Amino acid sequence: MIELTRLCKRFGKRGEICAVADVSFCAHSGQITGLLGPNGAGKTTLLRMLSTLLVPDKGHARVAGFDIVADRHQVRRHIGVLSDARGLYPRLSAVENIAYFGSLYGLTDRVLDKRIAFLLETLDMQALAKRKTEGFSQGERMKVAIARALIHDPPVILLDEPTNGLDVTSVRSLRTFLRTLRDQGKCLIFSSHVMSEVATLCDTIMVMNHGCLIAQGTANDFLNKTTQTSLEDAFFALLEDDEQKRSLV
Amino acid sequence: MKPWFSWRRAAAVLRKECLDAFRDRRTLLMILLPPLFAGPLFLMLIFSLIATQSERAQTLTLAVQENAHAPALIAFLERQQVTLKPLPDDYEEQIRRGRIDVALIIPEDFPDNVATGRAASVQLVYDRSRDRAQVTIAQIEHLLVAYGREWGKMRLLLRGIAPEVAAPLRVQAVNLATPQQSGALLLSLIAFYALFATLTGGMAVALDASAGERERQSLQPLLITPAQPFEIVTGKWAAAALVNTLVVALTLAGFYLTLRFAPLPAVGVPFLFGLSEVGRFSIALLPIALLLPALHFYIGIRGRSVREAQAGTSVLLLLFALLPIAQMLLQQREPDWIAAVPVAGHYTLLTHALRGDALSNINIAWAYAVPLALLLLVLIAAAQRLNKEASL
Repeated sequence: MIELTRLCKRFGKRGEICAVADVSFCAHSGQITGLLGPNGAGKTTLLRMLSTLLVPDKGHARVAGFDIVADRHQVRRHIGVLSDARGLYPRLSAVENIAYFGSLYGLTDRVLDKRIAFLLETLDMQALAKRKTEGFSQGERMKVAIARALIHDPPVILLDEPTNGLDVTSVRSLRTFLRTLRDQGKCLIFSSHVMSEVATLCDTIMVMNHGCLIAQGTANDFLNKTTQTSLEDAFFALLEDDEQKRSLV
Repeated sequence: MKPWFSWRRAAAVLRKECLDAFRDRRTLLMILLPPLFAGPLFLMLIFSLIATQSERAQTLTLAVQENAHAPALIAFLERQQVTLKPLPDDYEEQIRRGRIDVALIIPEDFPDNVATGRAASVQLVYDRSRDRAQVTIAQIEHLLVAYGREWGKMRLLLRGIAPEVAAPLRVQAVNLATPQQSGALLLSLIAFYALFATLTGGMAVALDASAGERERQSLQPLLITPAQPFEIVTGKWAAAALVNTLVVALTLAGFYLTLRFAPLPAVGVPFLFGLSEVGRFSIALLPIALLLPALHFYIGIRGRSVREAQAGTSVLLLLFALLPIAQMLLQQREPDWIAAVPVAGHYTLLTHALRGDALSNINIAWAYAVPLALLLLVLIAAAQRLNKEASL
C-alpha cells in the first residue's frame, strides 16, 4: 500500500519549476494503479520520490507502511522499481546483471538461484540467461531490467513507462505478468502517457497534468464524466478542461 | 537494526566491478600490456644511448685541416690516441648536421706567433646544443688546455722558473658519488615512469565505474537498492585500486626482469634494481596507488559525462606529473616538508631508494599518513555526492 499526502516537489535555483504540486492519493495492495499524464506531467518525479531518490519539499508519503524520508532504507527493501533509467551492464550476462542486484538486497545464494530460475521462466527468457546483455533488443533489455527490479520479491512495484519501445507481443506478455503480480497481492503503480494502455490494465487511474492530480477513477468513470465515447477522447477532454481552468486562474 | 556499513554489500560491488573490468579484455590489455613492455623498451633506449656515448668517448675523432701549421700540436693529439680526420670544406654545415662533432682550425699566423713568443690561437668549432657531442667536445677541450699547460711549463723551465710559480693552485677532484649514485641519475627516469604508471593505472576502471555507470543509465537503479552510497563507493574504489596495484606491480616486474635478464649493453655503471629496490619501490608507491583511483572516481562522479570526467582527470595528472619534473629540474636540496606532499614526497622516496639510501621512517610515515587520510576524505565526499539529487 502507498499513501501520498500533499506531496510537493520543485526544481530550479529558486524553485521556479513545479514538478509535483500537492498530490494526494492512495494505491492499494492487490491493485494496479495507473499514473496517466502527458510528457512533463510529473509522473517520473513522483515515482522518483516514492523510490527515495528525491526528497519531497512538502508533504509526506508512506510506502508499505514506511515513511519515504525517515525510513528510506526500509522503503528501499520493500520496493521494486523499473525507473526511467534502466541501463544494464553490457559486459555482464543477463543472469549476472540480475544476481548483482540480488546480492545487494542481501539474498542468500540459495534464495537467489531460486528467484532467478523463477523469473527466467515467468518472463520467458531462459534463452537469454547466459548471454551478455550487449546487443540485446529493447524488449530483451526490458525483461532483464524487470527481473532485476523484482529479484527480492518486493510487495510494492513501481514501473515508469514500462511499455516504452516494446512491440505488441512483449506488451501483451508484460501485461499478463503484471496481472499475476497483482493477483499475488502486490501493490503496483504503472505510469504511462497512453490512455488505452492504462485502461486495459489498471484498476484505478490517476490523471496528472502540470504536476497536479486532475482526476481519479476507473476508465468508465472518465467516459461518463466527459460524455465521450472513446478513451482517447476522454483523456484529451480531461486535459483540455484542466488547461481551461488554468488559463482562467 | 541496520548496520552502518555492510562489508557483504561492499564486497558484492567489488566483485561485480572486477568481473566487469576483467570482461573488458581490450581495455584491460591496453592497461596491462604497456607497463610490461614500455618499461623495458625505455630501458633499452637509455642503455644504448649511454653505450654509444661511452663508445664515442673512447674513440675521440677530430677534424683537422691538412698541411697544418702546428705539427707539434698534431703530434701531441696523435700521441693522445685522437683519431684525426681531414677537414672538409663545408665543415660548419656538417657540424650542424651532426656528422662531425668537433673541428680544429689552425690559422696561418700560428707558426709566426709561436716563433715570436706571442699567444697563438686555435679555433675549436662545435655545436654545443648537440647532446651527443658533449663528451667529445669536453675531452678535446681538456686535451688542448693540457697541451697549452705543458707548453707553458717548458717555456718557464727554459727561463729557469719553477712551473709551480705560474700554477699556485692545484685542484684535485674527489667524486663522492658511488657508481650506484651516478646510475641513479638515469634511474630517476625509472622512478618517474613507475610513478606515472601509478597515477594512471586505475583510471579507466574508476571512470567506467563512476561516469560510465551514469552514462549507461545504471546508476539510478543501483541507488534504489539498499546498498548505501559509502558501500558502493568503497566497493568501486577497491576494484579500481586493485587494477592500479596490478599495473604498478607489472611495471616494477618489467623493470626488474629487464635489468636482470635482458642482454643490455655494458655501460660500466652498475644499475642496481634488485628485489630490495623492488620492495622499496612498492612501499613508496602503495599509498599513491590507493589514493589515485579514489580521486579519479570522485572526478568521475562529479563529471556530467565520461568525457568531462576525462578532461578533469587529465588536469589532475598534469598537476601530479609536473611535481617530479619540477623536483628534477630544481637542483637544490629539497625542504623537509616535501615528505608530506603526496606524489612529490613519494618521488623523493623513490629516488632515495634508487640511490641505495635507507628510507627514513618519518618520511615513510608521512608518505602513508597523508594519502590515507586524503583517501578517506575523498571516499566520504564521493559517497555524499552520490547521496545528492544532483548525482542522478
